[in-house]
Amino acid sequence: MKHWKLSLLAVTVLSIMGLSACTAKSDSGASGDKNIEMWVQYSKEDPEGKAMKTNIAEFNKTNKQGYKATVQYIPRSGSGGGYEDKINAALNSNSLPDVLTLDGPNTAAYADSKIIQPIDKYIANKDDVLPSIINQGTYKGKLYAIGYSESGVGIYYNKQMFKEAGITDQELPSLTKKWTWDEFMDISKRLKNKFNGPAIDMQLSDHSEMSLYSLAPFIWSADGSITNKAGTKSVGYFDSAKTASAFQLIQNLVKDGYTTISPKEKGFQTGKYAMLMSGSWTIQELDSQYKDIDYGILPYPVSPKTKKLVSPTGSWQYAMSASTTKTKAAGALIKFLSAKNQMYRTSMKMTVLPARKSVSKMMMSKVTPNMQFLIKQNQVSGHARPVLIKYPQVSRTFAETVTKATYYKENPDVAALLKKQATDMQQYLK
Amino acid sequence: MHRNSLTRSSQAWLYIFPALLILTLFLFIPALMSIYYSFTNFNMLSPQTRVFNGLTNYITLLKDPIFGRSLRNIGQFVIFIMPLQVGTALGLALIVNKKRAGNTFFKISFFAPVVVSLAVTSVLWLYILNPEQGLLNGVLSHFGISAQPFLTSPKQAMFAIIGISTWQGAGYQMLIFLAGLQNIPTDVYEAAELDGANAWERFIHITLPMLKPTSVMILTTTFIDAFKLIIQPMVMTQGGPMNSTITPVYYIYRTGFTDRQLGYASAMSVIYGAAIIIFTIVQRRITGDDNNVK
Repeated sequence: MKHWKLSLLAVTVLSIMGLSACTAKSDSGASGDKNIEMWVQYSKEDPEGKAMKTNIAEFNKTNKQGYKATVQYIPRSGSGGGYEDKINAALNSNSLPDVLTLDGPNTAAYADSKIIQPIDKYIANKDDVLPSIINQGTYKGKLYAIGYSESGVGIYYNKQMFKEAGITDQELPSLTKKWTWDEFMDISKRLKNKFNGPAIDMQLSDHSEMSLYSLAPFIWSADGSITNKAGTKSVGYFDSAKTASAFQLIQNLVKDGYTTISPKEKGFQTGKYAMLMSGSWTIQELDSQYKDIDYGILPYPVSPKTKKLVSPTGSWQYAMSASTTKTKAAGALIKFLSAKNQMYRTSMKMTVLPARKSVSKMMMSKVTPNMQFLIKQNQVSGHARPVLIKYPQVSRTFAETVTKATYYKENPDVAALLKKQATDMQQYLK
Repeated sequence: MHRNSLTRSSQAWLYIFPALLILTLFLFIPALMSIYYSFTNFNMLSPQTRVFNGLTNYITLLKDPIFGRSLRNIGQFVIFIMPLQVGTALGLALIVNKKRAGNTFFKISFFAPVVVSLAVTSVLWLYILNPEQGLLNGVLSHFGISAQPFLTSPKQAMFAIIGISTWQGAGYQMLIFLAGLQNIPTDVYEAAELDGANAWERFIHITLPMLKPTSVMILTTTFIDAFKLIIQPMVMTQGGPMNSTITPVYYIYRTGFTDRQLGYASAMSVIYGAAIIIFTIVQRRITGDDNNVK
């Protein structure tokens, strides 16, 4: 009898311990009107985390109102979980922090669901902020989020391989001397013939968000679009002749063997491909790990009809949760973090493009010529992704369309393919 | 006596209480919540605006071509993986059951893929199967076979995943088969040998029948596990090319957590869960009565 009473006690204690472990709460939350909490999607040890740590220490020290911010660093996992899972859980338990970060494409969904609130009045020198950053964070005419850095993509090229293929410096395009899709195809052809393989890795094996992010500028260059301006219709837009011309280019590049749907891993970095379509993050990789590759960056090829240079943009942003009661304090923190000096610190630490024109000027003399090129391209041709509530579904339909277009034997008729895909996309735009 | 048995019964309940509590919290309650959510328009970003929408999700599901495609894909996977994985596992178990030099090496080699995370092996296989520079195409070229597209071909991608899954999972089942094989009394084999039965006859008439309980257990677990396929397509193909490797669990995950449509994802889970239960019952009826599994 005594024995089983002891067992009862042990089991009860263990169960309570187990349950309390499940509900253990982080001690990082702060209380009080002047204490604000912020969640970010990276680790404390990342360059981004280190910049944030310095910025927050500075904010806590210098703000005159006595606000005190604490940050929870919640890294994203490989599949995009981690941070987003935490946000989703907080939504259900109504425990979002005062300030949070969110990826650009999430703006519309978060704003429409009233998770975040407008922050127009907290942003200083709005004219100084790049239009792509403003467009990315704007929903129904109000600014809901502010990107703290920018990103961009260019055509990386191997100088040695270009030389070997007989492509002279005079033939190379620049931001003022654009190259059309035809000229891009011609150079690709010469490289393919010389090296007997694909000329460019366009990252077509990446079926994620990279697809819309990096390839939609071809559509915009041709004056085509994914949806109408209001984001309510894809039929008549995604299947237009202008949009089709961009998909035809992608299909032709694969069909003619100038690019491939299954590129070799690090093919450009190891001198197997003469060109690579990639973002600013590749500069850091090449400069630190592949020092033998002598490379430069070329602008996005333009539609021969419009000659309009368009390049991708997009970034993570700061936003204020709709549930916070400390709007003044949260606003002060967002204002501080999106100011020139703090953005400069973040961009320099992360080696990413700046989100403000003034920060660009500050960075220019301190970054490599390749980085300078991407900053300039961003300023003259950066285009934000569409702000849509069901962006993930639209982005996936876009990526599916790219994949289908590249399987040219199965889908030889691009116009017919786009007609079907536009109808599929329409269901997400009601 | 009566009092004593009451105490014993209370004790039994007491001992299963922690497990029951955890199961209730993390299995029964979520399952019931899923059923409830499947009749709502639950969007993860706006849980407060959740309303009952009757059978809407189920009606949408009937017309959803991707869900239909995912069911066909998983059907193909299950049909191929069952004989392949179980057959391979039995073959490997027979190899390592014989006492010979290097047995430990073989056991470790066959079991090694099981202990490595699926995500890691999937990434490794991505390199091996790369059509342009992959190891496998390099090997095939030595035999005069042209480079294969593998994961980039809508026709080959699912078969590549089946092959990888067989390699990954067979080691675990091999261990269970091995335990089953070692439980067969040697005197049965000796008697059969005295009666003049050759190795094949001994395998067919002794090994296989005596492995039946083990086989039923392995078939059932392989069957249920096969329906849960998600990591390999998620890492290696993202369900492509052209939805040729999308599976129901991956589609449910994507709908619920990427698209945030928890109501619709719940409806898919309910239908799919019910289908697996029915299939499992049918499968157990075919492979033998439940009571035979001991």
